[in-house]
Amino acid sequence: MNGNVAVIHVGHLPNLVSGSRGTLWWAMVLLLVIEATVFSTLISSYFYLRMGQPEWPPAGIDPPKLLLPTINTFILLASSIPMYLADSGITQGKQRRLVWGAAAATTLAAVFLALKVVEYAGVPYRWDDHAYASIVWLIIGFHSAHVASVVLKTIVVMVLGYRGYFNERRHLGVQINGLYWHFVVLVWIPLYVVLYWTPRWL
Amino acid sequence: MHDQAYTAPTAAELEELDRTWDSPPGLLGWFSHVNHRSIGRRFIVTAFIFFLLGGIQALLMRLQLAVPENTLIDPDTYRQLFTMHGTTMMFFFAVPVMEGFGMYLVPLMIGTRDMAFPRMNAFGYYVYLIAGVVLYGAFFLGMAPDAGWFSYTPLAERQFSPGLRVDFWATMVTFIEVSALVAAVEMIVTIFRQRAPGMTLNRMPLFVWAILVMSFMIIFAMPPLMIGSVMLALDRTVGMQFFVAGGGGDPLLWQHVFWFFGHPEVYIIFIPALGMVSSIIIAFTRRPIFGYTALVLALVATGILGFGLWVHHMYAAGLPQLGMSFFTAASMLIAIPSGVQIFCWIATLWDGRLVFRTPLLFVLGFLVIFVAGGLTGVMVASVPFDLQVHDTFFIVAHLHYVLIGGAVFPLFGGVYYWFPKMTGRMLSERLGRWNFWTLAIGFNLTFFPMHQLGLEGMPRRVYTYVDGLGWNGMNMAATLGAVLIAVSVTLFLVNVAVSLRRGAIAGNDPWEADSLEWTAESPPRNYNFHPIPSVAGLYPRWDTRAGRMTPPVLGLRNDVREVLVTDPLDAEPDYKSVLPHPSYAPLILAFACTVAFLGAVYDVRWVPVGGVLAFFAMVYWNWPGTVERTPPWKEAGRGER
Amino acid sequence: MILDLYLLFLGVAVLVMLGVVITIGLALFRRGRTPVDGDPPAEGEPGKFRAVAGATLATGFILLVLLVSSAYVGQVTSREPGQDERPITVNVIGHQWWWEFRYIDDQPSRTFVTANELHIPVGRPVILRMTSRDVIHSFWVPNLHGKIDLMAGRTNTLRIRADEPGEYRGQCAEFCGLQHAKMAFVVVALPEEEFDGWVEESLRPAAEPGTELAQQGREVFLESQCSLCHTVRGTGAWGTIAPDLTRIGSRRTLAAGTVPNNRGTLAAWILDPQHIKPGNFMPATQLPPDRLHALVAYLEGLR
Repeated sequence: MNGNVAVIHVGHLPNLVSGSRGTLWWAMVLLLVIEATVFSTLISSYFYLRMGQPEWPPAGIDPPKLLLPTINTFILLASSIPMYLADSGITQGKQRRLVWGAAAATTLAAVFLALKVVEYAGVPYRWDDHAYASIVWLIIGFHSAHVASVVLKTIVVMVLGYRGYFNERRHLGVQINGLYWHFVVLVWIPLYVVLYWTPRWL
Repeated sequence: MHDQAYTAPTAAELEELDRTWDSPPGLLGWFSHVNHRSIGRRFIVTAFIFFLLGGIQALLMRLQLAVPENTLIDPDTYRQLFTMHGTTMMFFFAVPVMEGFGMYLVPLMIGTRDMAFPRMNAFGYYVYLIAGVVLYGAFFLGMAPDAGWFSYTPLAERQFSPGLRVDFWATMVTFIEVSALVAAVEMIVTIFRQRAPGMTLNRMPLFVWAILVMSFMIIFAMPPLMIGSVMLALDRTVGMQFFVAGGGGDPLLWQHVFWFFGHPEVYIIFIPALGMVSSIIIAFTRRPIFGYTALVLALVATGILGFGLWVHHMYAAGLPQLGMSFFTAASMLIAIPSGVQIFCWIATLWDGRLVFRTPLLFVLGFLVIFVAGGLTGVMVASVPFDLQVHDTFFIVAHLHYVLIGGAVFPLFGGVYYWFPKMTGRMLSERLGRWNFWTLAIGFNLTFFPMHQLGLEGMPRRVYTYVDGLGWNGMNMAATLGAVLIAVSVTLFLVNVAVSLRRGAIAGNDPWEADSLEWTAESPPRNYNFHPIPSVAGLYPRWDTRAGRMTPPVLGLRNDVREVLVTDPLDAEPDYKSVLPHPSYAPLILAFACTVAFLGAVYDVRWVPVGGVLAFFAMVYWNWPGTVERTPPWKEAGRGER
Repeated sequence: MILDLYLLFLGVAVLVMLGVVITIGLALFRRGRTPVDGDPPAEGEPGKFRAVAGATLATGFILLVLLVSSAYVGQVTSREPGQDERPITVNVIGHQWWWEFRYIDDQPSRTFVTANELHIPVGRPVILRMTSRDVIHSFWVPNLHGKIDLMAGRTNTLRIRADEPGEYRGQCAEFCGLQHAKMAFVVVALPEEEFDGWVEESLRPAAEPGTELAQQGREVFLESQCSLCHTVRGTGAWGTIAPDLTRIGSRRTLAAGTVPNNRGTLAAWILDPQHIKPGNFMPATQLPPDRLHALVAYLEGLR
């Protein structure tokens, strides 16, 4: 089929794209949908188990203390700010902002994890005492594992950023990491409400 | 779109393109393949091996049940057999085989050269393979799970199921779900972003729609079971109390979580089969499908409604009446989109120019058997009726009518239809007809009497029954039918083996079909198409043959694995993604994950160990090459983490 | 009533099946017109659209009818019986792999326990309150009613009523482990006076052994490991983890419906329960033949 035929020419199209144009961005969004389903299942299970019990938490256990977890929640929420700055910075080619922002976010998240460890070393129940204990430990465990994994991922992003790998054209990986980061932070809000406030309300 | 002189590619160009997309040869090289056809074929072949294993398990059970008080199989072996049969068929055969067909066909049907994340594809396969090998390893060591494929608590708790059997179940089922989730994410991204220019959503083949719906269902259905099986594993290993009534837990929570997954699971299996049916009907009636929009909406509706039915597996558990009625209504409601599809297919058959070859025979078998199964499904949707037949052989009959009729018959049809594309040879038509008729007769002989057996009181999951209840004849008939099914499957295997060597050469388009995969060679070259096509209608191959040409897509490089990424709705070209060349990283990550999952069977502390290993494996996978080096595909921007 | 519902559903199913098969058959044998290779005709085949739309609406309507019928039958069959029907209450406790039946009365002294055989009066509703000591079981007597699950930590209620005297077989209908297949039971429906008589006999302690052999057998019973698990009311045997044997002699079957009840099967069962029902929790009791003979004579006399 030679000769003058209409042709669709794509040779000029870019290889590097930003944000939701990238296929990897979509993959991350779908991963986050999966994670959201996971956390929804955990929250539903919490309420299902709760509905089957006359007392919740069970007799002898007070509702969870509020002060430390609430401060901790603000620390985690705060970490989204440097992460956002890192993200938006690199889209404009600000490599140093990326590294500093990621470092600040990681530090805050690490503090969050450390305080969580302190909090749960001190709760008056073990995971195998009662279904209440089990679901609380499972939820905290899952979320903390997610925080730990996003911290590790972000350290990798930081290292690559430090080596100058990211710039104003190549930064999809940073944006995707940011998506995961903000998800882990935001999903903590309903978990926090469910675990720390609903035993007092319902 | 520019008018310019189009010259057909030269032989040298094609050779270079072929080399760029080639996969390394040899045994060691096999572990680094990432291209969708290679991985798709592996999924299909591995799934069929599990199909055979699951079938042998079924045959053994039938032999045990042929006569009352039989002593062929002891009760312990029997419970492992029925657990493995269900687990194998549902997790290790049915879903992977559909995924495999999706992986192989979707890129060809949408006009691209590979899936969006080829290494992730390979990773999904290795996870699947390892999970299956580990589970069957446990089986051959006498440690197969034995609490049913649904593993109800409290029976599955450590107190009543000591040893590691159920732990293998919980961990390996969770592991294989990772495989399915990874495949689902990839399918969705590929289908939305890599369609050929001009393939708007309403010009997508129905099989592609089916894979899309299936993938979304996997994303929403599998995570709950992962949580459930994690909870079960934690109950068993560290004494958590999720399903222990004495500890404030609830055994019924397991059932809710399991069936919330379990019911969509059967639609995950069934919906791709419906896509195959549409493809076959179009090709073998030589006419456009009637009701494309209705069929798409029906697929989507079935996918959504499938999430609202799960309590119909729990009618005997003592739940409130009003709640159960809702699920009766929903379970009946889903018959409507299924019905719409059946009616549209019949309308297409009505005045098509029918080509009576084996794929069409299997589709006709599907229509009859699935409708029967759907009708018994409407029956068991009713609570009072179900309270009689729940957990009896009536249900065994129903589920096999819808699963074998609804998924396996279309699957066989799909194999006969697409085997020429995948191998370049035709399957024997004569053996195909024998295959079909022995399967159709054997299937009905096996499962039809089971309706009556259930009505006469025979419960499920029993290793024997007493004499004198009137069940003997029907059980014997069912066993004879099972033997006939085994004959049919043997014929199928013979057909495949013989045709691979001596089947008629197929050529690009032996069926004169309608969709893009038939423009590629049989089997397709490494690069699928050159040039990448564009489409202007629902039946691009028919358009091409009728002389209605569409502009080819030029500008993808031949020395680098570039694919065109397009806009999700209108498929307008957006950018070009550079795909990775073959790599061992997926295998390494799969091994790292195995440490976590297999370790979890023995000690929960292996999980963080495996997690750390997986982290390093992922860093290795994603670490970019040095930017100073010039080989362009290493420098080109794959989004790295 | 459920039978009528089933027949309605079956009738609909058969008609639909015939309709579909006939339509497909007609489609196959019609002479096809020359196909359109490519996108469907613009005018959209209105005749077919009407046919498909009509079939879909008909499907919806039929389903609605079936839904309403089902809901109605569901209501009727799960209705709580009124006091004027003089219901009796039996607590059913599921064990791996046998059934414990506790007959409940307003006067606690008139409560008694039996196993694996449920006697009920004809014509009066029986309220069964079910729970389990271990895993999930399911109580199912096909000829009397649908099934309901027995779960630890929950009490589910089933109401049955036999309208005709007779024996009705039941079987566990939820996989409960190794011997799920051999966890059956018998429901014996007796006319009212016979039932009252049976209740009175059940309230009495175990029958005294009638012969010297049976007396010897009672000693064997009390000296062996039997009383660790079994109860025979009126003797020193108060074990509660195995079926109550106070009236074992009168039962029609042994080992939860596994074998018929006679001297031979009883002796075989005592000597080697694992042979008849492998995996069940009763250990073998090794006895020399004469002591076994006496024991069986005693147990068969417990009517």
